[in-house]
Parts: sequence; structure tokens; C-alpha cells
Amino acid sequence: MVTATGFPEIELADIGMHYPSDATEVIALQNVSLNIAKGEFVSLLGPSGCGKTTLLRLMADLIQPTSGSIKVAGKSAKEARLARKYGIVFQNPVLYDWRRVEENITLPLELMGVKKAERKRKAAELLDLVGLQGFGDKYPWQLSGGMQQRVAIARALSMEPEILLMDEPFSALDEFTRERLNEELLSIWSQVKNTVVFVTHSISESIFLSDRVFVLSPHPGRLSSVADIPLPRPRTREMRNSPEFFGLIAQIRGSFEGV
Amino acid sequence: MPTMVWGLGLLVLWEAASWYLLQVRQVPLAQSKLPYIHEVLRAFANYGGTLAKEGAVTFGNAGLGFLLGSAAGALLAILMSLSKWVEHLAFPYAVASQMIPILGLAPILYGIVHDEQVARILIAGYITFFPVSINTLRGLRSVEPSALELMYSYAAKSWSIYFKLKLPASLPGLFSGLKIAAPLAVTGAILVELMGARHGVGVIMLRNLYYGPSHTYMFWSTVIVGALLGVLSYLLMSAIERLVAPWQPEFRAKGGDRS
Repeated sequence: MVTATGFPEIELADIGMHYPSDATEVIALQNVSLNIAKGEFVSLLGPSGCGKTTLLRLMADLIQPTSGSIKVAGKSAKEARLARKYGIVFQNPVLYDWRRVEENITLPLELMGVKKAERKRKAAELLDLVGLQGFGDKYPWQLSGGMQQRVAIARALSMEPEILLMDEPFSALDEFTRERLNEELLSIWSQVKNTVVFVTHSISESIFLSDRVFVLSPHPGRLSSVADIPLPRPRTREMRNSPEFFGLIAQIRGSFEGV
Repeated sequence: MPTMVWGLGLLVLWEAASWYLLQVRQVPLAQSKLPYIHEVLRAFANYGGTLAKEGAVTFGNAGLGFLLGSAAGALLAILMSLSKWVEHLAFPYAVASQMIPILGLAPILYGIVHDEQVARILIAGYITFFPVSINTLRGLRSVEPSALELMYSYAAKSWSIYFKLKLPASLPGLFSGLKIAAPLAVTGAILVELMGARHGVGVIMLRNLYYGPSHTYMFWSTVIVGALLGVLSYLLMSAIERLVAPWQPEFRAKGGDRS
């Protein structure tokens, strides 16, 4: 069981996030402190408005907190971003239409100045990893939604980041595709072995994937509880039907009571 | 096939109307108002060489002006997208410039440069400039926030964001500007020729208009040449667009869209 006692990869201390608006100040996050260990797979779970995406964006240095401190891979969030410590996957694949799948995947490497032959080799490796062999020459629009999201994952992994940040990556997909991609994500992760922060509003998805689930509640967004997921790995499809799994769902659902 | 039938039907209708005006109603100057198509085509065939030669002169000048205007328009769009300050400074003038009637501007410009060649090129460029600039700017601004955040997450340099994201994303805008501007540039060049020049479609157009009803078929031929040049310029831009930005939705094969 991986716990926060390992080397901390991401440390948030007393994070506050306020959006000033005309009438009232909106409090997106209040007093959020959490540690994520190196190599851990955690989910940020909560209903809309709980600030889970905001939290992820703070880690990614896409936004800056009003108060509190963030350490990512031992650096400030900005330094970590500049050192390309994380890869990010958004809710939409955000693929560039004018680039073939392969060129989309290796965009980060291109920006880093990696030579073309090496990019080509890496693209083949990543296409293999995400199960898209033979699709490198296609354009994004020629792929289904689920395949596009796999391309986005491959792109995020292309620079071999220590951390993978995922913002509701499968929420736009149908349930069947989503469950299949959950399994594939775990198989990819078992090979890559980096730290994953996964934002979702699905209780079962968070349980199936994670070592720990951070449960957030809204108005103001705050951390309400942390659930350890003691299911063994590798996780299998059958585990979704186990009494243990249902017990965890009930436990987490219970932590939302009174919200 | 339906287009063929439609076109033929239109020609038959035209011939019939022309005959009706001339023979039945006996309208004065009937042939100047609606000439027989076959007579126009005969004039077109008899003077094909002249029409082609003068058409080429017009097209060449329009093309040169179009290139200059497009380059200037695209450049201004880039500058405006880079700096709000440039936009606030240049945009009102760009809009105001379009309020000046070309019909008034052409003789003024001709009076200044005293060169039909240069005047034609300048007017064609002047007309081209605005639609290209506006549409390119819109294209540059069309980049999705998440596509930019992706670049930000890779710590991409501003120039790579420009070359790898903003410029490709602006191509559809640029081309819609070019497709609007190309036929306008031809019209602009012809307009200057009407003011006084030695060569070009506009010159024979004006000459045949002066000669009166006896030259009405030739006059109509020149009108057709002008229209054909406009269509040609548009088709040329469409063909180039297909080569340069083939990834746009309208060029996608049916049935291959995302599922």
C-alpha cells in the first residue's frame, strides 16, 4: 500500500483560491493541504464546483493560488513546469488538426529540440503503448473520441514526465469506452510508473484507478476526506463487481452526506 | 449533371428573352440590354486572342497587387495579434480606409503616380489588404485556450507557439480572406483601366462601350472575360488552400468523421 509517507512528489500546503468578482468574492478553494507520494496514483473526486480542476491547474502552474504554497517534484509549480516535470491531459483531446497523430504525439519532443529520427522512434513506441499501432499517419479527425484521448495520453507521456496530470480525461466518452480506457490507463501506468493525479466526478472510476482518493466538497471548495483504496493491483474488470468495491463506493458516497 | 441542365436552361432562357426584346417588343437598343448569347460567343471567338492578351495584362497586374496587399494584410494581422497597442492604433484606419470609394480613389492615385501599371497594382493591393487582414486576425485569435495552455505546459517559447500553433490555426482565416479578396483585386484592376490605360480588359471594355451599339457583342465579351478572371482567381486560391491546409473540415472525406 502506497501512502503519503513516501517521498512527496506534490505538496500543497494551505491552498486558498479566491476569484474576485463584481458583487462577491468567489472562494474556489479554502485551506487545502495534501501530499502525493512519488509513484502514487491519486484521484481528486467531487461534484462540480468543488475546485478539483482548479487544484489540478494549480499543480500545473496554469493558474496561481491566492494563498498557500505548492511544491511539485521538489520545486515551485512554475519551476516544475519549466523543467517539464509533468504531462497534462485535458477533458478534450486538444489535438492539433494540421498534425498527423504521430506529429501530435511528439509535439513536446519537437519543442525540446529532439531530432526527427528519435521522435519517429519514440512515436512508434508510444503508439504501441497506447494501443494505436498503425495510426501514426492518420489525422486526428479520422480517429474516434476514445482513440483521440489515447493520442493525448501518448503525447503527455512523450517527454517521460515524472507526473501525469489528468483533468477528467474520459468524462466526454461513453461508459463502455471509459471503462475500457480505465483498464488501459492502468496497464500503461504499470509500465511507466510515474505519479498520476486524476480528476474525476465518477466515484467508481476514482476507486478503480487510484491508490488514494481525495474527496472534495464545494462552496467553498475544500478537502473533506481521503480514502485509501486497498484493492490489490493489477486491478481487473471483475473487481468492479466485488463486495469490497461496492463497500468503497458506499464509504465514499457516505463522505458526501451532509455536503 | 443538375448544374449542366441548370446552366443550359439559363442560356436558353436568355436567348429567348433576347429574341423577345428584339423581335417581339422591338425595344430600342435591345441587343445592348440583352444580347444574343451566340453573337457574344462569336465575338468572343473572333477576338479571343486580343481578349486573352488584354485579360492576361489585367490578371497579371491584379495578381501583383493582390500579392502585395495580401502580404501587407497578413503582416498587419500578425502585428495586431501580437500587440493590442498596434491593433488600437491601426484598426480604425484600416476600417476607415474601406470607407473611401475606390471610384474616387483610383483617379487620385493615378494622378499621383502617373503610371497605369503602378496605379492598377496599388488599387488591387488596397482592395485586397482589408479582407485578408481581418480574416487572418480572426484566424490568429481563433486558437482555443486549451491549445494554448498545452503549449504553456510544455514551457514552449513564444515563437514556437506562433509557428506551431497560431500560424497554422490562422490558415483557414487567411484563405477565406484571400478568396474574398482575389476577385475584388481583379475588379479593382479593371476599374483603374477604365480611368485610362493602354492595356487591359478594362481598356477594350471602355472602347467598345464608346463605339456604341455596333460593338455591343464585343463589350459583353469583355464583361465575360472580367467575370472569368474573377472566377479563375477564386479557383486558384481554393486550389492553393487545398494544398497548404488540407486538414480543414470541408476537405474531409465523408464518413471518416469522428464517431
